[in-house]
Amino acid sequence: MKILIADDDALSRRLLEKTLERAGYEVTAVENGKQALDQLTKLEGPRLALLDWVMPELDGPEVCRRVRKRSEQTYVYMVLLTSKGTKEETVLGLESGADDYLTKPFNAEELRARLRVGERILLLEDRLVEARENMRFRATHDPLTSLLNRGAVMDLLARELHRSHREKRSTTILLGDVDHFKQVNDTYGHVVGDEVLIEIANRLIGSVRPYDFVGRYGGEEFLVVLNSCDPAFAPGRAEELRRSVSNRAIQTAKGSLNLTMSLGALMSSDWGPRPVEELLHEVDTALYKAKASGRDCLRMAQPMTKTEPEAAPLLQPVRLQR
Amino acid sequence: MEGLGDSKLKHGSETMKNNEDSHSGPAWNLAELLERVDNDQELLRDLLNIFKEDFPPTMRSLESAVAAEDLKNAARLGHTLKGMLSSLGGVRTAAAAARLEVIATAGETASLKGALDALKCEAASLLPELEAYMAEVRH
Repeated sequence: MKILIADDDALSRRLLEKTLERAGYEVTAVENGKQALDQLTKLEGPRLALLDWVMPELDGPEVCRRVRKRSEQTYVYMVLLTSKGTKEETVLGLESGADDYLTKPFNAEELRARLRVGERILLLEDRLVEARENMRFRATHDPLTSLLNRGAVMDLLARELHRSHREKRSTTILLGDVDHFKQVNDTYGHVVGDEVLIEIANRLIGSVRPYDFVGRYGGEEFLVVLNSCDPAFAPGRAEELRRSVSNRAIQTAKGSLNLTMSLGALMSSDWGPRPVEELLHEVDTALYKAKASGRDCLRMAQPMTKTEPEAAPLLQPVRLQR
Repeated sequence: MEGLGDSKLKHGSETMKNNEDSHSGPAWNLAELLERVDNDQELLRDLLNIFKEDFPPTMRSLESAVAAEDLKNAARLGHTLKGMLSSLGGVRTAAAAARLEVIATAGETASLKGALDALKCEAASLLPELEAYMAEVRH
């Protein structure tokens, strides 16, 4: 594990360095508080630190305070090392954000034991972060396909529509529905139905760019958001997605199945700023038309007029009568 | 590199307080230091060499600060010496440096010179012991 030693006294620094190297730590030693802060706030920097109280540039408590201000970074366990020893000073050190306090000259065994406490705290923090990330993933992803769930993909779509309108770009919204999926479930059972959905999800994800979004919108419905997609290429990109489903059979436990997908699509640049729900309603109508046209095809949502009528001025200039 | 004794430290000062606890016991606690370095002789030599290099100039800076009645620097240098000496097991000298730091921090200019003399006196007992040990391990 990486550890930082910050001490302006070369003798104390060397003693700590050797003691900690012998205990298996990967040691970085610096001689003032500013260098310590740089080390502790850089990416992949040490997460364990032994800081001398009195140092040039920044003292130990000030380093603790500044590290703690950066709440976005992973936790750093900091031990203040000092020859100061009054209760007031101990309180001051701990109040600055230090986790522990060790009086110099240190006892090697006690130092190692206290650092093991720090390691346990950091391990606990890692577990908490991992658990939080798992919960966040579960809250935003569909458990079957691991795609974004409906809420998450709608949020991202709303954000993307704002951005593309601001930047005068176009976002393409696609709504795909697996054709005759009910028959798959009814004929082969839900386990095979799930296999089909997982495979289609993988094919859709594999057919878009890393910065596009794919979400599970409903049972066998998928919402795809193509960010900053040139309107000239949007129908072609939508066709690629449709073919990714139909171009080869899906292997399931009950044999291979040939399936297709119908798609409704909309380019935001054709519609101007409108609520997400309204645009999704239009895409859904286009999807319905694709189904009505025999399935396994794409239909684009077309606005009645491409531009909004210009608003009449609220006040007409009044011509004074003579 | 200069010798440990080059800082021209002298024994004796009428301001020394011989009844303090820190004045009892050996000038250098080698056993404690060996425990701290896990009996690593090479590390011990390293530490003594660092001390030999850092102690004389720090001491000279302290003497200048005291002569100029520069309390802030005297306190800082007293603190540095206290840390250095206590890490090395120089218990009595470290205690003398600590007293000087307290006096300088409290702004007791009148007592500063006496504290410096006491520190020099303790260092004069410690340094020959360190020199002797270094000479012994060299052979």
